[in-house]
Amino acid sequence: MSDTTADQPRPTLPAHLQDPVTRTVVRVQNRIVQAAREHLTGQGFVELMPPIIGPVTDPGGRGSKQIDIDFYGHRYKLMTSAILYKQASLLAFDKIFCVAPNVRLEPLETANTSRHLVEFRQLDVEIAGASREDAMGVAQDIVVQAVTAVVEEMSDDLARLGRDPQAFAALLKNDAPFDRTTHEEAVAHLARLGHDQNPDAEIDWEGEALLSAQADRPFFITDYPKGSRGFYDREDADRPGVLRNYDLIAPEGYGELMSGSEREYDYARIIARMRETGENPAKYAWYLDMVRAGIPGSAGFGIGVERLTRYVAGLDAVWQATPFPKTPGVVSA
Amino acid sequence: MTRVLTAGGFAEEQVRARARDGAAAAFPRREDYGRRLFGAEGTPRAGRPGDALESLRLVPPVFVPQRLEKLIELAREPHYGDVDLATTVGGFRSTAPLYVSAFGSTQVAASGLGTAVSRQAGRLGIPMVVGENIVPTVGYRGSDGESGMLARLSAYESEVPDGFGGVTFQQSTEDADAEVWNLLYSAPSAQKLLDSGRLAFELKVGQGAKPGLGGMTVVDTASAVRLAEHYTTDDVYGDGRHVLRSSSPGTFTEEILRQQIRLMRNNYPRARVWVKLPPGRDVRRAAAVAWEAGADAVTVDGAEGGSGWAPLSFLDHVGLPLGECLQRMRAWEERHCLLVSGRMWEGGRVARSLALGARAAGLGRAALLAVDENPDDGLDRLVSCLLLELRLLISALGKYAPGALGPEDVWAPDGTGTTPAH
Repeated sequence: MSDTTADQPRPTLPAHLQDPVTRTVVRVQNRIVQAAREHLTGQGFVELMPPIIGPVTDPGGRGSKQIDIDFYGHRYKLMTSAILYKQASLLAFDKIFCVAPNVRLEPLETANTSRHLVEFRQLDVEIAGASREDAMGVAQDIVVQAVTAVVEEMSDDLARLGRDPQAFAALLKNDAPFDRTTHEEAVAHLARLGHDQNPDAEIDWEGEALLSAQADRPFFITDYPKGSRGFYDREDADRPGVLRNYDLIAPEGYGELMSGSEREYDYARIIARMRETGENPAKYAWYLDMVRAGIPGSAGFGIGVERLTRYVAGLDAVWQATPFPKTPGVVSA
Repeated sequence: MTRVLTAGGFAEEQVRARARDGAAAAFPRREDYGRRLFGAEGTPRAGRPGDALESLRLVPPVFVPQRLEKLIELAREPHYGDVDLATTVGGFRSTAPLYVSAFGSTQVAASGLGTAVSRQAGRLGIPMVVGENIVPTVGYRGSDGESGMLARLSAYESEVPDGFGGVTFQQSTEDADAEVWNLLYSAPSAQKLLDSGRLAFELKVGQGAKPGLGGMTVVDTASAVRLAEHYTTDDVYGDGRHVLRSSSPGTFTEEILRQQIRLMRNNYPRARVWVKLPPGRDVRRAAAVAWEAGADAVTVDGAEGGSGWAPLSFLDHVGLPLGECLQRMRAWEERHCLLVSGRMWEGGRVARSLALGARAAGLGRAALLAVDENPDDGLDRLVSCLLLELRLLISALGKYAPGALGPEDVWAPDGTGTTPAH
């Protein structure tokens, strides 16, 4: 994998769609999503159709911006993540998933990270009554099932993409849990590598790539500090300031594939966390009414479909993993 | 001369004189030279009763070791022109220990004066804060191209010298709905300042003129309907044409403040983080929390501060005077960046604030009045006068940089001040 493609001009839409690489990538992506659906459905999950607009959405982070639309005179948002609706969905079913479109106007500094799209799909999972460890297990299973399906059934396509199946040897050789490292350990590791990482913040793009490049199979980073994530990631009751959350990082420098957590579900704690994250609770009326009436505790995650596709297909940049790419700051079809 | 504004209770005529005459206004009228005897007046000229800051005197020492250091450096006797006023303000390099305070969506600031101030602040190479509520009230671009947030940014950027200055954008609770910081962080027009490390975001916790309340404006009833979804509106005038529009002051605890600052650093790693505090009784603790969480600057607006609409009962009765804030904070013991505002327009008050631990002083009403007097270079002239005074005062204290001032340079006649001059 290299970052060179990220800086190259994107092809025009017809050329991108007609590129044999794009067609092969889309087939691989089909198989990845199909494998996830087969696995989750087999485990008793129900697929719900997610909304695209709403009065409020995930506030996001790291400088990403929401898109407002006029909804009969009211300000509505395009979904940046299905998280609030995933929590609501557990009033209907205990185990749900969806393949959700999201739009985030990412800051211009992400234009050349090779892994940011303004418009992307997320495979979202939410499980009532689950712990973080339960959710991490489901997340690992999805990745293993998807990679297995592609490696076993699409060797010709991988060959056309120049992706060596041996890249997945460490991932597939056993069913041991993926390695785990805490955010604190990751920060210390980066310091040893000479990378100055803010200990209170998300692992920055460069730091994430450094850690990713040193791994040969996916691994989890857990326990992000409060202040680096949204109000819905649950704070550890025994360790104030530490969140019961995790990211799954791909090996080979591909970086983050998914984020997940145990969710906050207590009304008063959610209000306080909203203030801590600079949010105005008045915006979240429907959500807070629902939480006040009671929602189940849960854990879940969202996998970036294009990012997972990029990793499996061995692509230089995430925009190659979607037929209609929209990258930060680039006016495109 | 435009003269749209008045500022009763403020040193309006003195500010206007400086906006007209520049550095010459640091002295008595030239026409009186040789004809009049000058000496201290019995009461502080610009002070208000109970203003502890005004009651302090700057007291030069007889022995001046720092002047000897400067003498050795220069190989001649130093004079006031050798004072280097350049300093660091909230992560920005500034030509002087000054910045332009926030004024937001009030009618005064939106009238075009805000843009005039922006242009001159940029020219001076001093940082500028753009106040809250502009985006939800006036708009990101502004309907007339003159009053929106981008107009102030581009006016500043058009004249700022390389390597100096910076623009700080405030955000309050309602601004969070409008995603002001997100808008700016990814705005192509803000990238130049961002790339050169000259963009900051200021979390507004409160303000001097009305601590405990949010921003307030008077709006016409048509605008009130548009704004009612996001603001409180109150028909206090009963004339069918105007209503009071109020923002939420927001709700803060130590943990909420700490985490909001961390989130700012997480979400906007390339922007500086400023925090504006009201003159509250726990201001020292609040500033400590902000600095511990990684704020590049903490701004404290004394109760004398403010340029916007505020209830009279607050103006006269609520909040700590700046002098008391400075004494409680004891910022001279730290190396953190403390910025202060409240009735700043002349060198003596600024110098006293610097001596009590402030890094820089903010010009609010004075900046607006100066451009009201002369929209082309009123602020330039006001600041040139103030800087001359600062150079005179700092050199008289035997020092040659604003950061060299300390509590030993001031003396409180009633013994209630900080460290007496010794």
